[in-house]
Amino acid sequence: MKYITLIFKNLRRNLIRSGLTAVGVMVLVLVVTLIWSILSFLDKATAEKADNLKGIVSERWTLPSQMPFSYANSLSDGSAREPQDARPTDAMTWQFFGGSLDPKTRSFENSLFAFALEPAKLLTMMDELDNLPAAQRDEFSLTVKKLEETRQGVIVGKTRLAKINRRVGDRITLYGLNYRNLELELEIVGLFPEGRYDSSAAMNRDYLNAALDAYPLTHNGEQHPLALKSLNLVWLRFPDRKVFEEVGQQIAESPFYSSPAVKLETASSGISTFLTAYRDLVWGMRWLLAPAILVTLSLVISNAIGISVRERRMEMAILKVLGFRPNQVLGLILGEALMLGGVAGFLSSTLTYLVVNFWMNGVRFPIAFFGVFYVPDAALWWGLAIGLGTAFVGSLLPAWSTRRVRVIDVFSKVS
Amino acid sequence: MDRDGQVLAVVVGVVAACALLVWLAQIPLKYNIRNLKVRWPTTVLTALAFTLVVALLTVMLAFVNGMKALSESSGRDNNVLILSEGSTDESFSNLGFSDIGDIERQPGVLRDGDQPLCSHETYIVINQPIEDPPPGRQKRRFLQVRGLDDAQVSARVHGMELFPGGEWFSAGGVRKLAELDEDFSAIEVVVGEGIARELGQDRRPEKIQGATNTARIDVGDVVSLGNRRFVVVGVMKSAGTTFDSEVWAKRSVVGPLFGKESYTSLVLQTDDARAAESLANYFNTEYTKASVQAYTEPVYFRSLGETNRQFLVGIIFVAAVMAVGGVMGVMNTMFAAISQRIRDIGVMRLLGFQRWRILVSFLVESILISILGGILGCALGYLANGWTANSILSSGPGGGKFVVLRLVVDGGILGIGMLVSLSMGIVGGLLPAWSGMRKRPLESMK
Repeated sequence: MKYITLIFKNLRRNLIRSGLTAVGVMVLVLVVTLIWSILSFLDKATAEKADNLKGIVSERWTLPSQMPFSYANSLSDGSAREPQDARPTDAMTWQFFGGSLDPKTRSFENSLFAFALEPAKLLTMMDELDNLPAAQRDEFSLTVKKLEETRQGVIVGKTRLAKINRRVGDRITLYGLNYRNLELELEIVGLFPEGRYDSSAAMNRDYLNAALDAYPLTHNGEQHPLALKSLNLVWLRFPDRKVFEEVGQQIAESPFYSSPAVKLETASSGISTFLTAYRDLVWGMRWLLAPAILVTLSLVISNAIGISVRERRMEMAILKVLGFRPNQVLGLILGEALMLGGVAGFLSSTLTYLVVNFWMNGVRFPIAFFGVFYVPDAALWWGLAIGLGTAFVGSLLPAWSTRRVRVIDVFSKVS
Repeated sequence: MDRDGQVLAVVVGVVAACALLVWLAQIPLKYNIRNLKVRWPTTVLTALAFTLVVALLTVMLAFVNGMKALSESSGRDNNVLILSEGSTDESFSNLGFSDIGDIERQPGVLRDGDQPLCSHETYIVINQPIEDPPPGRQKRRFLQVRGLDDAQVSARVHGMELFPGGEWFSAGGVRKLAELDEDFSAIEVVVGEGIARELGQDRRPEKIQGATNTARIDVGDVVSLGNRRFVVVGVMKSAGTTFDSEVWAKRSVVGPLFGKESYTSLVLQTDDARAAESLANYFNTEYTKASVQAYTEPVYFRSLGETNRQFLVGIIFVAAVMAVGGVMGVMNTMFAAISQRIRDIGVMRLLGFQRWRILVSFLVESILISILGGILGCALGYLANGWTANSILSSGPGGGKFVVLRLVVDGGILGIGMLVSLSMGIVGGLLPAWSGMRKRPLESMK
């Protein structure tokens, strides 16, 4: 205990140096925590699950996937034809509708991109919305109910709503971007819970399909060019990998899905493919940026401890005269570094966790279709580990050098 | 003055201002240099922290610079890109067959005899399964295929040439290969140099050893796309353009094969930039026969810079936070230097050195450390010049182009690296130097 008190007192002796080093550690741990948060999210999203996994059915060869809506029902049932055939436990269809609020000036700023789906699936199939905390889920259920009751309703993310300068309850007209010459009159019925869907919107798929059905009435009997390509993705949930494989085979062997052909892949595999474009960026973050910051962190600590050791050679000599063994002196210096690094690292990651998750509602860094990243719970120990690890590496050499401090050398110089 | 010149001018300006201060303060520079040498472990550690910060910043900016260079050099200023109305990306564009003839016959479009210089294109992104990928490589990739009606015309419009030994795909777009079944022909493709390298890496090591070109796939190589075999008939000199990541083939063959039968875009060649601008304007405001959206190519490719902007914001944040770490490091160093040399400060003050000259003296030391760290960091970062990386260029959510880009470390980036290093040195050195300046001579001598 006295040893720890001594460490504390030593750190307090030069508050400026301890403070500067702690701030240096904290800002660098902050960056590493953010980088690792993004990487850990991507790793989790691309990790293959063994059970309760999701699969995505999409057009086999091309992007964007555009399938006829006639595929929707049978794909949602996993292309099962016989009672004993394997079936997914849940399913959700996605049709993308992008529209501008202004028919003349069509820009990203005045546009809304919505998933057209069955409203109830927002609560059971949408990533992250399917496992909301109870209170948030109850609140969002009311919004979903409103969407179910309002065929022309739309749920919008907070950021997007602010961008288009509208409020809940407003009515808007969307002039189709991908669905040319299709105009949808929508009523904003609620907001997404803050986070991943801040820039998204969701509407009732029945309304989009009804608008497509009605299109020929106003266009000389001609169908909309995308009328037979309106189904973009079908999400399926499987209890385990075996059912996934069986359903995959049923879909692959079905003659029904020939034009265009479709494929079933796990959600993680689909995301992995999409992340290929970011492969080098992710590699750079993982193997270049984060390690270089850790080395910088070690250098900052090493510098501070090195200066401290050089300034306190006399003190080391006195400690030795008082009976401290070389290892105890080494432990004292290492302890100071570990205390400083550990506490600063832990404080930094904890503050990052609280500020990013509860104040900023995530870090906005768009990679593929992920727009917002949160700091995971594990980050609380990352900071401690980073601080301790880099402090140990950075202070080992300076601390080791204290073992070689010879009392006679120090006092002979003084005399 | 261009961006590089401006940045270098600022760097030279800052260094000149420092030199002027040293000259005005008439401080003995040797004294500072000797101090840095005597405390070499501290000097080296601090400079190394600067080195890493600057090197990382250089690499990250080189990535953004590479993307910028790619989007800027992809478009020709006398070309006009036509998409269907409302489309901001080729992936989502659908042009009617009946509209094509009329669009390309509009006044302003260059002609070669009777033939309008118009590239008819169908842009398709294919989800390509990779057969037997080597360990560690992905099992699927998005491959961009551009179906063209007439390869020669398209090459002329886009200014593309082939490496020696290659040829553009034939009018039929297919050819028989001795090793394939008689009933099937291989589809002829011309590939960009970048994607040729990427596809080359998908080969297993034993195949690479036996290949004619170990660095990339080359003329005569056969690859699988979809459920068909494709034979490479040419490799484009496409480095530095988005076409570097594309596969070009006969539209009438690949369009139906991948379920995209309509045209996605037309590229019209005009006399010059002004003519292109006026033609784009005409299509957007006066042309009524078809609903189209026209962009001059430079405008279109600039619009794909949204990802660039997002990366830049991220980089600025990371660099700023890392710089704070570096500043803390140099502050520690300088505070220690001052505490070790309190007596020196007293002696200098007694010799008649004014306070501001003491401040300059210590500030110069931290600036020297920052110059050393900055130069090393720039040198280290420069090693990234020419590295290739995969990325995406897009104008917003959805769409975008998957590209293979080259990192570009230019004078401007090195200048920014030096400027950041100098700023860290000045900011980090100022407070300790200020505290040194305020020491009273007699107290310092105690």
